[in-house]
Amino acid sequence: MRSRRDVLRSAVLGGGAGVVAATAMGSLGPEAAFAAQKTAQKVEPGAPDPDFAEGRIRSIKDNTLLVLGSNLVFHTIRVVDGTSLWKLGPVPFDAARPGDGLYARGVRMPDGMLAAESVWLNIVNIRGHIKNIAGQTLRLDHNGHEVLCHVVPGKSVAIHSESPPTADLSMLKVSQHVQILGAWRPDTNEVDIATVFSPH
Amino acid sequence: MHGIAASQPYVIAFFLLWAGLMKLLSRRMRAQAGRTALARLSGPARAVPALRLVGLGELAVAAALLLPPLHLLDAVAAALLSAGFLVYLAYASVAAPASSCGCLGTHSRPVDVRAFARAGLLLAAALLTALGTRPAAPGAGAPGTVTGVQAGLEAGVKAGVKAADGLAAPVPAVIVLEVIVLLALSAELDRYWLTPLRRLLVRLRRPLAAPPQERVPLEASLHLLRRSPAYCSAAAGLTSDVLETWDEDGMRFVVYGARDRTAVFAVPLSGDDPGAVRVALVAEPPLSGSPA
Repeated sequence: MRSRRDVLRSAVLGGGAGVVAATAMGSLGPEAAFAAQKTAQKVEPGAPDPDFAEGRIRSIKDNTLLVLGSNLVFHTIRVVDGTSLWKLGPVPFDAARPGDGLYARGVRMPDGMLAAESVWLNIVNIRGHIKNIAGQTLRLDHNGHEVLCHVVPGKSVAIHSESPPTADLSMLKVSQHVQILGAWRPDTNEVDIATVFSPH
Repeated sequence: MHGIAASQPYVIAFFLLWAGLMKLLSRRMRAQAGRTALARLSGPARAVPALRLVGLGELAVAAALLLPPLHLLDAVAAALLSAGFLVYLAYASVAAPASSCGCLGTHSRPVDVRAFARAGLLLAAALLTALGTRPAAPGAGAPGTVTGVQAGLEAGVKAGVKAADGLAAPVPAVIVLEVIVLLALSAELDRYWLTPLRRLLVRLRRPLAAPPQERVPLEASLHLLRRSPAYCSAAAGLTSDVLETWDEDGMRFVVYGARDRTAVFAVPLSGDDPGAVRVALVAEPPLSGSPA
């Protein structure tokens, strides 16, 4: 019996069973591309998006996360097999810990529970100036607050201007402006770097 | 010791001149006045006049310190001004922790421990000046007449002088050290010495020069993926972030959920041509037990 990966691999490389649409000339045909947009839900401007939740995990029970939002609203978020979890990269469900901050997107159920399609744990997007570089860390001055950013070998990349991403971060300079996408270490001023965007 | 005390007025006057002239003459400083803690104290509309008033006060005290003869009142005024700085910094760190202090020049950093240390050192210098200054006798008092308190203070200073003479501390070296410490505590000057120094150290030590990675980081593949026509054509249908990824035959396979389907992308591990990315939508629900 072929594994699921084999099925997916043959689907993308050469067609196969169950393929709805596949690359012909670099992109999908317009039918496939626009089919999904019809189901996209309209949200009133200014109204909270019912399919979105943010906050910090208070407790984890089976496959359900109890999350306290920053507006003090509780969310119950259910994570299933098809839910993507991000914590400095795709991670399994057991990487989620109480105390982690999260953003989740999914489908709101009639009972108020959010069936998550994607969960991003501790994701942060910060801008600032590099104060110092020492060891495998950058010290970032973010509006006068110091953020200690850790370079994670094999995960952290730098994107200089328009050039392709590189795992070599040695081009970064003290005092330059950067934007850092990464994973916050809860209750610290420390961040693990996913991507450093540098203007030059 | 006496030499050190005698030189303090010049050290204090140097910093007060610098601060006062910056406040009165620097256009950039006036432009940024609204963002200092002073603006919080005086109201944004009065920030520039308040800045000028403080600058004038600093220049007046500096002039009094520099013009002989040195009067005890001059030293007391300098000490009061330094104490005022400390109080202002404490106010700034409590009431406007995100604002800069607007002390000696333009920078956007909030008040930190260095600003307190500098103001504290200036206060100590002013107190040393006051202790070492013989008061010019007011009115009928003959020059050199001292009160009991002042006599006591002078005795203390003299004892200190003798003790210091015993150590044979080189006075100019101490003064140079004091000025260097005061300059080093000035965040306004960091870009002239601290930043270049750190850059030099980074260039010498090369802290981030990691050995070449054998594995391509996932973020690098995702960056290529997101710029590809294949991803753009499928992006509207994607409902999840990356579900699964694995490498095989020089390709990296990345799986996304797309409502009741699965989107699978093949991203080449080498090269950076977004056109080489391929995609297939498979009628296999990514959400087993999907509520949708």
